[in-house]
Amino acid sequence: MPREIITLQVGQCGNQIGMEFWKQLCLEHGISKEGILEDFATQGGDRKDVFFYQADDQHYIPRALLIDLEPRVINGIQNSEYRNLYNHENIFVSDHGGGAGNNWASGYHQGKGVEEDIMDMIDREADGSDSLEGFVLCHSIAGGTGSGMGSYLLETLNDRYSKKLVQTYSVFPNQMETSDVVVQPYNSLLTLKRLTLNADCVVVLDNTALNRIAVERLHLSNPTFAQTNSLVSTVMSASTTTLRYPGYMNNDLVGLLASLIPTPRCHFLMTGYTPLTVERQANVIRKTTVLDVMRRLLQTKNIMVSSYARTKEASQAKYISILNIIQGEVDPTQVHESLQRIRERKLVNFIEWGPASIQVALSRKSPYVQTAHRVSGLMLASHTSIRHLFSKCLSQYEKLRKKQAFLDNYRKFPMFADNDLSEFDESRDIIESLVDEYKACESPDYIKWGMEDPDHILTGEGNASGAVDPKLAV
Amino acid sequence: MEEEHRVTDLIKELVLRLLSQNPQNPSSSIDTQKSLRYAIRILSSLMTPSIAPDSAAIAESIKRQLATQGKSSQALAFADLYTKFASKNGPGSIENKWAVLYLLKVISEDRKNQKSRSDSRVSSGFSASVGLPALFDAESGGYSGVSRNRETLEKGWNNGVLLVSKDPENIREIAVREFANLVKEENEVSEEVLVRDVLYACQGIDGKYVKFDKSVDGYLLRDSIKVPRATRITVQKLCELGWLFRKVKGYISESMDRFPAEDVGTVGQAFCAALQDELSHYYKLLAVLEAQSMNPIPLVSETANSGTYLSLRRLSVWFAEPMVKMRLMAVLVDKCRVLRGGAMAGAIHLHAQHGDPLVHEFMRQLLCRVCSPLFEMVRSWVLEGELEDIFAEFFVLGQPVKAESLWREGYRLHAGMLPSFISQSLAQRILRTGKSINFLRVCCEDRGWADAATEAAAAAGTTTRRGGLGYGETDALESLVIEAAKRIDKHLLDVMYKQYKFKEHCLAIKRYLLLGQGDFVQYLMDIVGPELSEPANTISSFKLAGLLESAIRSSNAQYDDRDILDRLRVKMMPHGTGDRGWDVFSLEYDARVPLNTVFTESVMARYLRIFNFLWKLRRVEHALIGAWKTMKPNCITSNSFIKLQSAVKLQLLSTLRRCQVLWDEMNHFVSNLQYYIMFEVLEVSWSNFSNEMEAAKDLDDLLAAHDKYLNSIVEKSLLGERSQNLYKTLFVLFDLILRFRSHVDRLYEGIHELQSRTMESLSPSRDKTRSRRLLNDKTAEPGAWISDGRKALTQRAGEFLRNMGQDLDAIAKEYSSLLEGFISQLPVQQHIDLKFLLFRLDFTEFYCQLHPNM
Repeated sequence: MPREIITLQVGQCGNQIGMEFWKQLCLEHGISKEGILEDFATQGGDRKDVFFYQADDQHYIPRALLIDLEPRVINGIQNSEYRNLYNHENIFVSDHGGGAGNNWASGYHQGKGVEEDIMDMIDREADGSDSLEGFVLCHSIAGGTGSGMGSYLLETLNDRYSKKLVQTYSVFPNQMETSDVVVQPYNSLLTLKRLTLNADCVVVLDNTALNRIAVERLHLSNPTFAQTNSLVSTVMSASTTTLRYPGYMNNDLVGLLASLIPTPRCHFLMTGYTPLTVERQANVIRKTTVLDVMRRLLQTKNIMVSSYARTKEASQAKYISILNIIQGEVDPTQVHESLQRIRERKLVNFIEWGPASIQVALSRKSPYVQTAHRVSGLMLASHTSIRHLFSKCLSQYEKLRKKQAFLDNYRKFPMFADNDLSEFDESRDIIESLVDEYKACESPDYIKWGMEDPDHILTGEGNASGAVDPKLAV
Repeated sequence: MEEEHRVTDLIKELVLRLLSQNPQNPSSSIDTQKSLRYAIRILSSLMTPSIAPDSAAIAESIKRQLATQGKSSQALAFADLYTKFASKNGPGSIENKWAVLYLLKVISEDRKNQKSRSDSRVSSGFSASVGLPALFDAESGGYSGVSRNRETLEKGWNNGVLLVSKDPENIREIAVREFANLVKEENEVSEEVLVRDVLYACQGIDGKYVKFDKSVDGYLLRDSIKVPRATRITVQKLCELGWLFRKVKGYISESMDRFPAEDVGTVGQAFCAALQDELSHYYKLLAVLEAQSMNPIPLVSETANSGTYLSLRRLSVWFAEPMVKMRLMAVLVDKCRVLRGGAMAGAIHLHAQHGDPLVHEFMRQLLCRVCSPLFEMVRSWVLEGELEDIFAEFFVLGQPVKAESLWREGYRLHAGMLPSFISQSLAQRILRTGKSINFLRVCCEDRGWADAATEAAAAAGTTTRRGGLGYGETDALESLVIEAAKRIDKHLLDVMYKQYKFKEHCLAIKRYLLLGQGDFVQYLMDIVGPELSEPANTISSFKLAGLLESAIRSSNAQYDDRDILDRLRVKMMPHGTGDRGWDVFSLEYDARVPLNTVFTESVMARYLRIFNFLWKLRRVEHALIGAWKTMKPNCITSNSFIKLQSAVKLQLLSTLRRCQVLWDEMNHFVSNLQYYIMFEVLEVSWSNFSNEMEAAKDLDDLLAAHDKYLNSIVEKSLLGERSQNLYKTLFVLFDLILRFRSHVDRLYEGIHELQSRTMESLSPSRDKTRSRRLLNDKTAEPGAWISDGRKALTQRAGEFLRNMGQDLDAIAKEYSSLLEGFISQLPVQQHIDLKFLLFRLDFTEFYCQLHPNM
């Protein structure tokens, strides 16, 4: 009963970061590109069966589904040195191979069309597990396949595997550059609704921040997708270390997430990682103690989500929860000292409506991957400032929506047929209420939030205020 | 023949003359015959006077007698006559000159007796020994005859005195003689006799005059013997040696007699042997002295009376050294009479601390002998682990015990038998080294220690043979012990670490009993959970063992050493009525010999307590995670509640929010308690233990380190004596959390039912008007909630939520008051690390602000 996790990588971006993730996992577990355990890797004390299973010939096969509506990226994987790693039955490429054309509605619709095929694959994988813990979805929220088809899959999984966890690694588009996908605000909004309603945990990977980190921290003048993807795979593998190297605590996904997500709606997590390196880069070796790592993890510049908050708002932003996963040779006594120092310096603002603390999980480091630093750390945190990212998405959507731009592409599909754009409005409302809930979390009165004015609500006029919408707040 | 006849004739003539002189008694042939026979009988008898046949001494005596009677002139005359008499040598002269003198003396004294009737026993003895006059009985006749006889003698003396006094050159000599006479007069016993007696006494034999007197416990010159005080005292002093000798000798023979029936012990034997040796030196001395006592001193003056070589004074000089030694020996004998073994050696050692080099050297030699059995025991104990101690003399005591308690109880130091020249720490080290060997031999079935011992002996510069060590070589002993201890201990630890994998077992216990192997614990919790909810008496431990095995197989525990996994068992504690499986389930670890020396039953009992605590904590965590799963983010989609009445919706919202916040608070508590247990308790203790394990030099260190490790876990996990209140509160909190969990389950079950009913009611159409119409028709399908229509549904939902909300509030209230109690107790705890727990629980000072008085 290894508490298996099935990974679904959907769309171009999803498959790219998924691929990097599996590369990293293979390295850390000493599994070769063909899926064969290296000779040196027999005594690792690691747990491979959470993410891999063994075929009859002892090959390790990722519990992964590679799904795309166009063949380019998946073909690339199938022609790479890792082609023998995956189970070929788990690769789904749409027959026509035309993709979703960066259209959420197209992806969603096509997802509906191939639901049976994909669910067959998922069921097969689920049946092959002893005690399935849940699903991890890798996708981007801006394109067509990852966002649209991903959204459809989220709804389906929520329906069919309601007891299982659904975690997503969702790549948010770079908001600094003019995107080639002009409709990305639409796609993002529609996906965000599913992430809010149908996912248990969303790890937000903000391309804007990833780029910024690549430029500022790693001094890459023009970071490539491969480079930012390697940052993503680092975060993904680090966030699963406690599942793969069992210790006293945090040995399953649900235990890991439960403490991070005390209020169900606020399940969007930010990440931070230090010290960062990318391949072929001679990095300055820094002093890495637990305190250093924990302190650096709290610095906004290391956080992989951009903060669009203004200074005043930023100062009110609060952490709902923090989990630091520290890897490497760590003296456990240092943890306490570091926590004390952080508290003395008041480096963290926590919510005021309940007790909170920085959780620290110590995890082993893979013995097969050499790094220049002794200690590295990943932060998973729920922070109220993430609402500004959603606000940004909302405002971009509003801009586009006001102009009634590009809506025709959506009207072609059944959901928006007959000019029924209520899906957009509903999504907007849900995101808005999400933003409000995060905002409410900054106040000590969160517990009473949404109940201040029952009469007002009873009259059904609450929506105008934008602050309270009980029907969405559940 | 002719001579004999002449003597007979002479006697006859003498008798006749004596009888015929008696006027009152005319001679009769019968009397004559009778007297003659009597005289012959006396003469032919072997009766001899009890004085030395020394003519000079008798002459002196006579002279002194005369001098004391004031007849100094007579004395001088006598002296002159005697000189002439003595110088007459050759044919025709008297051979037994002393006899003649003696006769004269006796006669004179006899006469004096008749006069003065002296009470002196000595003189009466003399008369008795003479006996002749008394025989005649007639006080008249005998008396006159003898007195007349003496008168003739006195006449001769008177003449001599005149002569002598005229000779001035003789004055000094005369004075000496006079003095000698005086001495002799007082000393009825001569010095050489006393010397001999003293020599006898010093060998424990009664002499003629010096005899052992039981009443005063010592050798005494009889009071009746007339000697000067000084002499008497000297004799007494000298005889102390004899008394001491008796004591020592007595002890030796007593000990030898007792052996082996009573335990004198080898040290006692060695002591006796050493004493015996000393005594034989002493005997040699005495023999020499005795020989010397026979030789007279060659005097400057031929004429002066020559004493024998040994006088009492000389003797006292001779005896000075033996006296010191003998005294020491006697003291030791006294001290050691009731002691044995190490205690005896220690007692002797105490006396060796002496400034006198003579004493010191003597004691050193003695101790060397005495300690050799003891050192031999140490050697064989330290190098071979043999307890060769049939007489219980060694300061290490062994007792038969089971293998698991061999180390702790098998051997101990016997403080009484520990000689003071072996320090406590050395003794401990000796004890441990031998114990280690025995432990290796008995518990570890190891042979490698012999090499280590040989090596140690070589390093210490001694051999493994017997008798390599002795007293005074405490340094050598110490270095041997240190070398042996170092190597044996190292070897023992090597065996423990490598062959018996001590560290691996500790780690295994940490992983399984202290729940360090998270994935294993999780599976175990998952699969035994349902089983353990059953009443304890219906649970089959066989089934649980199966479940344990499958938990091992499905977790990473499967990669562990099979030997370790085989030791892991399910243990059902004794259960009472009403106990659930949760109350009695536990895991145990079978340590086996030799590891059960560390993991004794009591140690395992403490592990069991820790396990029960951690297991409960895990169960509570498991329950909370389970609760989270039922209320996880995507479990309730708002779609289904769109059509609910706002007030109910609000109620639902409020109930869920309160539930979530309470969950958050509980989860915060439980997970931070777990983090505390992991970092501050388990990991910190383990890392200290690991360090101490590395540094441990012997098994005792290891045991102490392990005890410390276990103690620190017990203390810090609130299991200690001092935190019992906290522990109780904690368990009440745990139970409350478990209750909360079931409450959450009921709440969400109700909500899901509500959700499905609402969906059902809406299913015919998403259109509001249609559904409303349907509900208004009151023709809906039969069903508890829906049958009465939407209004009733809303009502029932409202009621349900209200009830649940109230229960929730009650739980929340109870929880916060319990928690407040718990937290407020933390700062007053003795253990500093419990403050870390407070720090973690109140990291954001949430409780601090909530309850400012805390």
